[in-house]
Amino acid sequence: MAQMIANAIRQAGTNFVESLAVFLPRMVTTLAIIIVGWLIAMLLRTLVRGLAGWVRINVAAERFGVAPLLRTADLPPADVLLGAIVFWLVWLGFLLSGIDVLGFPSVQGLLASFWAFVPRLLLAVAILVIGFVLANFAWRATLLAAINARVPSPRVLSGAVRWLILILTGAMALEQIAVARTVVLTAFAIAFGALSLAVAIAFGIGGGSIAKRILEHQFPEQQRSSADEISHL
Amino acid sequence: MAVGHVDVLVGVPTLNNAPTIRHVVKAVHQAFSRYFPRDRTVLINSDGGSDDGTPHLVRNASADDTETVTVSHSLRTVHRISTPYHGLPGKGNAIRQIMTAADLTQARAVVVLNADVTGITAEGVASLIRPVRDQQYDYVAPVYQRHPLEGPLVTQLVRPLMRATYGWQMREPLAPEFGCSSRFVTHCLEQDVWERELGRVGIDLWVTAEALAGGFRCCQASLSPYPAASSRSPFGELFEQVVESAFECLERHAPYWLGRNGSEPVPLANPLPTQNVEAPAIDGSRLTEAFVKDLQNLQSVLEYILSGETLARLERLAEKQGARLRYPDALWVSTVYEFLLAHRSGMMRREHVVQALAPLYLGRTGSFVRQYASATEAEIDEALESLSREFERSKPDLIQRWNNSPR
Repeated sequence: MAQMIANAIRQAGTNFVESLAVFLPRMVTTLAIIIVGWLIAMLLRTLVRGLAGWVRINVAAERFGVAPLLRTADLPPADVLLGAIVFWLVWLGFLLSGIDVLGFPSVQGLLASFWAFVPRLLLAVAILVIGFVLANFAWRATLLAAINARVPSPRVLSGAVRWLILILTGAMALEQIAVARTVVLTAFAIAFGALSLAVAIAFGIGGGSIAKRILEHQFPEQQRSSADEISHL
Repeated sequence: MAVGHVDVLVGVPTLNNAPTIRHVVKAVHQAFSRYFPRDRTVLINSDGGSDDGTPHLVRNASADDTETVTVSHSLRTVHRISTPYHGLPGKGNAIRQIMTAADLTQARAVVVLNADVTGITAEGVASLIRPVRDQQYDYVAPVYQRHPLEGPLVTQLVRPLMRATYGWQMREPLAPEFGCSSRFVTHCLEQDVWERELGRVGIDLWVTAEALAGGFRCCQASLSPYPAASSRSPFGELFEQVVESAFECLERHAPYWLGRNGSEPVPLANPLPTQNVEAPAIDGSRLTEAFVKDLQNLQSVLEYILSGETLARLERLAEKQGARLRYPDALWVSTVYEFLLAHRSGMMRREHVVQALAPLYLGRTGSFVRQYASATEAEIDEALESLSREFERSKPDLIQRWNNSPR
């Protein structure tokens, strides 16, 4: 009996040592991959930030209206953000590669899924950036044109244009990364339809006088603004 | 028609100017016959595709259809050439064509006239020719007889800005008429501006700026009352074109004006008339009322363009004084300079920067008009002079920020 227990313990010890002999090199490899990956990610982050600084991406972000949105969302400047995205993508890739080396059955295939997801994620980020730029440009153009044309409520009009584009962009980005695709599409369709209907009803029933004023502004020969009455030259 | 070498060339760009063109052509012929009878003269009409028969009217306008000219024929042939200009629409192409013709004919004196007026006289045409022909000036800008409250875009913005930066006191930097020498014509034709937006819509201002920055001998000549044009662009379009052109010129000529201090008067070739002109009817209150609302609406755009201090002062002004606000000179100068710097920095689209300035300009105009509505011409002239001096006083700060700002 005692001999059997001793054999079992010896066997377990042997198995443990054998497993450790198999696992330890894998563990060291994993750690090495993670550490090297971290160093490479850090290096790439520095390079990307340097490159972004060289092409003056912060100035471009300011010009296209991305920077204010980043500030509103309490995010870092565009060059720092870009560096951080690159860092996390690269390091996450190395991290998953390292974990893959350990050979746990439950995380098998995670790496392949991650790399399949990256292009979609990048595309979604690109869609968001373009959407932000477009929304901000359209907002500013609408605001300035409405003020100079003396259209009533220019801020409401320009804000509506901006949010419409942002919502559309957000829906497209979520659709791209396939996050709750059905929910997003349905929610967007319902929200967009409801918004259009609400605007139509509000404008048709409650905003008759506003619509009249706006239409009157479209006929300058009938009603000229005070600015047009002056000979500025 | 072969014209050969000429002494005086007068160019008239036209586009559907049938109601006024006969008067302009008549004034030119009278000037040729009365004041330059021994000179070889030519009138060139560069037409942008009129469909109202303008070129036909120019070709058929005979020197004999005026009493004055009938008794005083020119001793030499007076040529009239009417030619369509091609390419992009705009006055720039017409002026380029006129300058090219002047270069080919080696004209000693060249004058460009505005076709959209009825007040031009033979004396006015001659006053643009003489300083070039007889006094070796390279550029002659007109000085119009008009009330100081007229043309606020000139008096409140372009004139003081150009004076402070270029360092020359030119009264009408935006005049659609000018005289110039063959040397200046050759210089202009060598520039790369003709295919650009500046050459298309801002040619009047660019010609003046180029003459000042190019070191040419400039003078001013008293002309008829300011032309009351029958057709003008809507305010927004006009403002955008003028201010965009002014800022563009300042950027092109920065190496010149960054080194200039103070300002010098541009000599007058003939004395200014002294008679008073009727004040224009401008409702300043409506402009300041609109300004208060516009400032609120524009805040999210202005915070990118203006410094925190300037924006805060503007907001306090609108908040405390409402529609009765007084937009002080110093604040207006800061506003204009900061818009110029924002335009240069490229922090947002340039047309947006210019569009955002329009409501502030209207506010300043309304404030000035309300303040000086019952003042004499001399008092208003003094106020405009004070504004120009304020622009000059703040120039060192502009230069410092210009040199430090990113481009």
